[in-house]
Amino acid sequence: MAYFHLPVCISPQNSFPEVDLYQIRESKNNLLEVMEPAYPGIPAAARRRMGKSVRMAVGAALPILEKFPQPDGIIIATANGGMEDCIKFLNQIVEYNEGLLTPANFVQSTSNAAASQIALVTKNHNYNITHVHRGLAFENALMDTMMLLKENKDAGYLLGSTDVISAYNYNIDRNAGCFRDELILNTHLFQSKAKGTIPGEGAFMVMMNNQKMGASAGLNSVKTIHSIDPLTILKTLEKFLSENFMPGEWPDLLLTGEDGDERLLPYIDIVESSMDKCVPVARFKHFCGDYCTASSFACWISMQIFETGTIPELLIKKRGATKPVRKILIYNNFRGAQHAFILVSAV
Amino acid sequence: METADLKRQLKEQIIHFLNLTTVKPEDIKDDEPLFGEGLGLDSIDSIELIVLLSREYGINIQDPKEGRKILSDINTMVDFIEKNRTK
Repeated sequence: MAYFHLPVCISPQNSFPEVDLYQIRESKNNLLEVMEPAYPGIPAAARRRMGKSVRMAVGAALPILEKFPQPDGIIIATANGGMEDCIKFLNQIVEYNEGLLTPANFVQSTSNAAASQIALVTKNHNYNITHVHRGLAFENALMDTMMLLKENKDAGYLLGSTDVISAYNYNIDRNAGCFRDELILNTHLFQSKAKGTIPGEGAFMVMMNNQKMGASAGLNSVKTIHSIDPLTILKTLEKFLSENFMPGEWPDLLLTGEDGDERLLPYIDIVESSMDKCVPVARFKHFCGDYCTASSFACWISMQIFETGTIPELLIKKRGATKPVRKILIYNNFRGAQHAFILVSAV
Repeated sequence: METADLKRQLKEQIIHFLNLTTVKPEDIKDDEPLFGEGLGLDSIDSIELIVLLSREYGINIQDPKEGRKILSDINTMVDFIEKNRTK
């Protein structure tokens, strides 16, 4: 089992530097945008060139790197990377007729800008990779880290994710019908059945190694699948449960990425209904909104639940047996096509 | 355009191009070095300033050595702009 240490999350809620999951910050104009800190640790010259997604990633990574200054690798998940800067750069090519272009937008425009900026800031020359598999980017980063830790028992890796709402991906996704047309608050996301959800954003960073002592949580297993068939998801879940639980044993909590989009409810329903009645169900996307690496926010929430020993009231969908939460099954899907199960446990 | 107005305009453009969100035009002294000490700009900023001169004033700097002198401070930049601008 791999272990999470020092999780840091910059999100639309009160998650950094202070954590408060007992209040919910409301969305504005159907967007759940992060509360960015001042980032005092990022050098001013570097900060002014950073796009938002890079700034968030570096800002979340620095507190961890103070304690673990030279990780054996930097493993980042991001579906959209520096999309805002990428489009600015492409627009400049058109606007200035393929003439002289400024370097800053180009440098920030690539998907690996966050991982490389963290490496530059810390002068880290070790393994450096960015996973960009849309809604499964974070899960692939998790699996990469798990495999590396199996091969390198004493190593430690900085794992993270970052994705932002850019004007460009928002407009494209909105036209594709991914978001609610009517003005809605995240606090009312589950009260009406409709197509679409609320977009969100966030950055998550954590140190991963094989050291149980001092860990915030353990990572038991990750399973991903591409399918639009709910029955295939069910079969995958059943196999996942059989590989990770004894017969008659269940997770202490099911945490789902239900996002208020009625088109995705069949997947949520089939996962929930396959659990024993005693398993409580919680959901997290009214806190962070929908974005490609939102399952990283669910991992962070799980660590908060382990640390405090309680499930924040605002997350609970269905109550179950009253017992300590030791194992949390996270189920998330991205647009009904990319599904993931992540099993994390208390240490 | 009067030299003083050009200096003011150039300072605003530098702040905008380099995203110097905490700097105001009056913070940039005319004879203060832009690189290293003073404003503390670096080599990537020098490319941004060369692009600025090209886009805003129609000036293309071909020789890097020449660019180092031109971009020393606000006075040298304004002097060069006044002599070479095409727009």
